[in-house]
Amino acid sequence: MPLHVVGTAVPRLGLAEKVTGAARYTADLKRPGMLYARLLRSPHAHARIVHLDASEALRLPGVHAVLTYRDVPQERIDADLPVLDAVVRFVGDEVAAVAAESEALAEEALRHIRVDYEVLPAVFDAEAALKPAAPAVHPAGNLVGGQWLVVERGNVAQGFAEAARVFEGTFHTQAHAPVGMETRAALAEWQGERLTVWKTSRAVHAMDRPILARVLGLPLEHVRVICPNMGGGFGNKDESRVAVLAALLARRTGRPVRLEYTRAEEFVAGRSRQAAAMHLRIGVRADGAPVAIDMQATMNAGAYVATGMRVTRRVGQGALYLYTCPHARFRGATVYTNRPPGGSFRGLGAPLGHFALEVLIDQIAVALGLDPLEYRLRFHVTAAGQPGQRTTPPHELLPDEPVEGGVPFSSNALRECLLAGAERIGWWQRRQPNGTATGPLRRGLGMAMGLYKGGVGREAEAEVRITPAGRVRVAIGNVDVGQGSATVLAQIAAEALGVPVDHLDMVLADTELTPPAHITAGSSVTLSSGTAVKLAAEEARRHLLEYAAARLRVPQVRLEQGRLLGDGETGLDWRSVVADLPGDLVGTARVTAGSRTHLINAFAAHFAEVEVDVESGRIRVLRYVAAHDSGRIVHPRMAENQVSGGVLQFLSIALREELYLDPRTGVTLNPSFLEHKGTSIVDFPPIEVLFPAPPDPLAPYGAKALGEPPVVPVFATIANAVANATGVWLHQVPFTPQRVLQALRAQGKIPA
Amino acid sequence: MAQRIPITLHVNGHPQALSVEPRTTLLEVLREQLDLTGAKRACDRGECGACTVLVDGQPMFACHVLAVQVREREVTTVEGLARRADFQPLLEAFVAHDAGQCGYCLPGFAVAAYALLRRLPRPDAWQIRWELVGHICRCNAYEKLVAAVQDAGRRLHPEPEDP
Repeated sequence: MPLHVVGTAVPRLGLAEKVTGAARYTADLKRPGMLYARLLRSPHAHARIVHLDASEALRLPGVHAVLTYRDVPQERIDADLPVLDAVVRFVGDEVAAVAAESEALAEEALRHIRVDYEVLPAVFDAEAALKPAAPAVHPAGNLVGGQWLVVERGNVAQGFAEAARVFEGTFHTQAHAPVGMETRAALAEWQGERLTVWKTSRAVHAMDRPILARVLGLPLEHVRVICPNMGGGFGNKDESRVAVLAALLARRTGRPVRLEYTRAEEFVAGRSRQAAAMHLRIGVRADGAPVAIDMQATMNAGAYVATGMRVTRRVGQGALYLYTCPHARFRGATVYTNRPPGGSFRGLGAPLGHFALEVLIDQIAVALGLDPLEYRLRFHVTAAGQPGQRTTPPHELLPDEPVEGGVPFSSNALRECLLAGAERIGWWQRRQPNGTATGPLRRGLGMAMGLYKGGVGREAEAEVRITPAGRVRVAIGNVDVGQGSATVLAQIAAEALGVPVDHLDMVLADTELTPPAHITAGSSVTLSSGTAVKLAAEEARRHLLEYAAARLRVPQVRLEQGRLLGDGETGLDWRSVVADLPGDLVGTARVTAGSRTHLINAFAAHFAEVEVDVESGRIRVLRYVAAHDSGRIVHPRMAENQVSGGVLQFLSIALREELYLDPRTGVTLNPSFLEHKGTSIVDFPPIEVLFPAPPDPLAPYGAKALGEPPVVPVFATIANAVANATGVWLHQVPFTPQRVLQALRAQGKIPA
Repeated sequence: MAQRIPITLHVNGHPQALSVEPRTTLLEVLREQLDLTGAKRACDRGECGACTVLVDGQPMFACHVLAVQVREREVTTVEGLARRADFQPLLEAFVAHDAGQCGYCLPGFAVAAYALLRRLPRPDAWQIRWELVGHICRCNAYEKLVAAVQDAGRRLHPEPEDP
């Protein structure tokens, strides 16, 4: 069947309104009588509040409420996150919340709240925090969950015993601040015992609504959460106290309250992906084939873990699955410290683990005298999956982050990605042996691979409603965090229905108007909600075709591109037959995405050409090619935009972004765009994006995950290109000029 | 409470009688008093360009201008530009090139690009990059933004050899 909507570049939904300012984001909203809130933050990395007096602040005219730990429900937001607490655990931890007539006044009121602290010993380093004598950030100890996460396929000890050679390395990555352009915000309004919250969110159904109901002691149906538009998600923005504090202030004052983070607050008290220290060992047979891969990671979760455990788990994804290998193990510790809290960021732990894996693999290939691309072509995991025995019972869906072998992939175009990327960058013609470049400016080519699962295991629902007005209303509870899922889901719905996309009205991210949905995370929406919306649209189409056939008195009709076709009927606009419908024609679907027989993963191979100035240590990226297997591409232009954007976003993380913490006080030293420089419009060359993969047989219209995969191989790709230019592999992100020079000196490539 | 000053601003062609504190930024007045929220508050300290408006036709960061400094001057926000005929080719080019993802930075880019195209009718890609270098897009839709502005230049100022 030819596709008419999927695979075409329809206009991104809402883009024009965003350009003209007509689209409203949370902080753009106002309600009658609305107050403004600000938060008082801890100046200490670890302290107990011994005395707190807000009376002076409350005496300021126009200040309506101050909330402290004494005024809030005891019910926690997260297992480790009280609404407010007598103990503060990082510099920037929330101490009090103020509501006032203006933001400036609320800010002024903060200076009139008197707090005396008993300063407690603080710990900032994850290794140090694991020592028995370390200060306890939380009462149950600093190792989150009390144990290491351990997953294993085969037996790595046996694998290393079979290895001809063993390679190992230690790798570090910094804390990564997602900092979407829109800062966290919430606007809360009560009508009696009913609460409405507009919020920056990735999960109005799965997180905000149940958390608000539980913490505030409300029935779920009394809480409505809406995310009007999201100014950037990047795997972040859910976990925080913003909504609960706004709701409590609104209840206390009897007025709507809006709370918005400043940029500095977003850097410090948002959630940054935790820093990682990784140790990796790989044993290979005489021919170079990996026989044992063992990765250990210690993750610095900061003061609260939020979604950090998921980050830890994903660090192992590449080590466990990217190369065909009978024995693989990942062990991860997530550790509380008094750093600003960790959380998730695009790719979760995958970019970290892939950095270690793909750099060490490069080192192995070169040590064995193999071309790094040749090595990967020979040993990457194939469509057959990993060797070994399936452990998931046959009737169960395969897990989203598998360890077991014996399960094939639904599709795997790693080889196509490797070949297409190599061809584009001229790998075979242009690459010199590692470290043979000379002179002050040394050029090199490098590459790395990645894999990522997305959407498997998620429950998703959709409702497709054909109305007598001749419109199709598609309701899905997910949030479009800016990546474009509303457009992609509209394309899938329109394709399944047989109508143009502009006949659709998409309704998302409102708990009152949409069926329940999972969090927009893990590159999951296309597969999970895409499957649901396709089924719901197909059901609605069946109802419409039955109705149309009866009404037109023909045995059968089809619907193509908005036209009803059948015996004797040539191209009647579908909208002309529904005007007399007694009610809506409704299709619904509820699915758990995934497969019982196959793993569904996205794959990528990236290639870069860099120039290293061995006098200044500066790395320039000259070319970057990103080849992706995300199955069928639903929207080519948006997909290209997303891959290019993801690579560019992570290139500045690879080269320079880092939140500096004063090691004595725990104060974040550079919480601004000026001092924490992301990618600008002049920094990097255009990213060359390739999609050489065929459609996936199991995914909706063959479309697999795409949101996060583009960021997964970036660090390793640059590190390997630098190694080709200089002969030195960098093991610590970011690759600042200082670190480049240090590494070159340490390995004798330049004079000490 | 701080002292308030009566001022008149000319915003999108309309005089607005307002009462502001001396410390109040133009951005705060636009967003909170006039409900013109196209200019976004993303950094509030002149680092990102998301709040860009035109003051007497020149792009400025509204978070870096006090309301009292622009008394009697002509302030144009993206909402004002959106009503102009010569903004439409720019808007169409943004949509055609998928220039943007989450969209939060886009009004700022659009205002700056509008001013750029009045000064440099057909800029090349590197002129566009250096002219817009003060604007941050964390989604990094930069390639599409450059393409859109270049295309808008061609749409606004066609030359005979253009297709």
